[in-house]
Amino acid sequence: MSNPLVKLSGASTGYFSETVLRNVNFEIHARDFIGIIGPNGGGKTTLVKAILGILPLFKGKITFPQGKVRMGYLPQISAIDKSFPITVKELVGSGLKAKNPWFPQLTREQKKQVSNLISEAGLSSHAYKPIGELSGGQIQKAFLSRALINQPQLLILDEPNTFVDKGFEKELYQWLRVLNEKMAILLVSHDIGTITPLVKTIACVNVDLHYHPSNQLTEDLLKVYNCPVDIIAHGPVPHRVLKQHDL
Amino acid sequence: MSEFLSIMEYAFFRNAMAAALLTSILAAMVGTYVVSRKIVFISGGITHASFGGIGMAYFFGLNPLLGAAVFAVLSATGIEWVSQKGKVREDSAIAILWSLGMALGIIFVFMTPGYTPNLMSFLFGSILSVGRVELYMLLAFCLLLGIFFWLYMRPVVHTAFDPEFSKIMGLHVGFFRYTMSVIIALAIVISIRSVGIILVLSLFTIPQITAMLFTRNFAKIIPLAALFGIIGSLLGLFSSYFFDIPSGAAIIFFLTLQFLLIKLLVVVRDYLDRNKN
Repeated sequence: MSNPLVKLSGASTGYFSETVLRNVNFEIHARDFIGIIGPNGGGKTTLVKAILGILPLFKGKITFPQGKVRMGYLPQISAIDKSFPITVKELVGSGLKAKNPWFPQLTREQKKQVSNLISEAGLSSHAYKPIGELSGGQIQKAFLSRALINQPQLLILDEPNTFVDKGFEKELYQWLRVLNEKMAILLVSHDIGTITPLVKTIACVNVDLHYHPSNQLTEDLLKVYNCPVDIIAHGPVPHRVLKQHDL
Repeated sequence: MSEFLSIMEYAFFRNAMAAALLTSILAAMVGTYVVSRKIVFISGGITHASFGGIGMAYFFGLNPLLGAAVFAVLSATGIEWVSQKGKVREDSAIAILWSLGMALGIIFVFMTPGYTPNLMSFLFGSILSVGRVELYMLLAFCLLLGIFFWLYMRPVVHTAFDPEFSKIMGLHVGFFRYTMSVIIALAIVISIRSVGIILVLSLFTIPQITAMLFTRNFAKIIPLAALFGIIGSLLGLFSSYFFDIPSGAAIIFFLTLQFLLIKLLVVVRDYLDRNKN
């Protein structure tokens, strides 16, 4: 197996002095598609923040054996102030680094790159609208475009299926499948039923992290992993699901 | 009309007009940041904390504006520190600073022997007595801030909107947020002369929310807010002179009236648009 993109060894982290994640060993390889599941408050977002480098580790270390990794990040939309006066164009452009830190404006090529991605996402007619005027799905598309503008090697999505309609969810998952051919994806969700058919492997996070090298999970295994989540798939009628199934 | 022209001959009135113009431009830039980041309450805390500095400066015989600036900058950076560390409830910290500043101001003014000149002008503003030195200070601050915004509006907006993502992008979030705190504090103190401690906050919010009736683009809110600020301030200034009422209060009255009228027009326009379809 090739070197991982990201490697966490014996990592513990949390907020202030409270440990949220304990002794985590975890690797992300190129073209992985890992579903991060676990109960609320179990440390899913904390894990993401540690990987992104915005939360320092209490113990252990995080390494990037292949060198610096370009990461794209889609935060939980509930944590975003949607009334902030920022347009779609500005938002997507904020995912690009300015070439000159003393005059941090985007170059003409970078602006073109932003316009192209906005049009690929089908948001051209909304490019100059403030994000507050978009629907839930359109906001997710705009934020996903911001995460993708830098052509990341690792795409991290935190609960991308909240506040969106089912139509968009389906579109999003098709998009992710295509993207996974080019990049590793880490998908955080409390909704295990929806993501199981999509992801390749699963990590259960509840203070500890248990890595499950397939997308098939049983309730017994979840118990062993100390990962109390409900295995319910959505569809015309919500149903319990333990094995591979179509969305 | 002749009376209108004749007041222009007075240097103090021309100064007041220049002060209204510059304060409006300054407040437009800083206020757009304040309103967008929803830190109006924080700015209120900074404003009132600065009164402690004014009182202390009176007591020690120093320049009151200098005292206000020191108190305002310290409380602004203190609040930013509290909000970044997140260990204390931010709103409680602001309330403490707010009332402590006022209390210290009152104690020191009370202890200062004799008459305290201009105290009322700090509380309620006195744009008609703004001097040349203060005007130059305002102009210099406006120019510097204009250049700063022209160069760094992108990181300023991004760190305000999504500090976490900005950190991932390698922006110096702390630097930009602390710098903006200091800028807010200084802008408030420098505007106190025109409209006073009690009313200054409205100059940083009313023109902005009026502008936001037309646009939700940060860069476009600033010139519109400046325009609304200038119109409201000049109307306030003239009525203050002609009706002999306090200038700060008159300015705020016209800013609010302007907002309400435009809001009404927007509501009527939207209503007509809906009925057309």
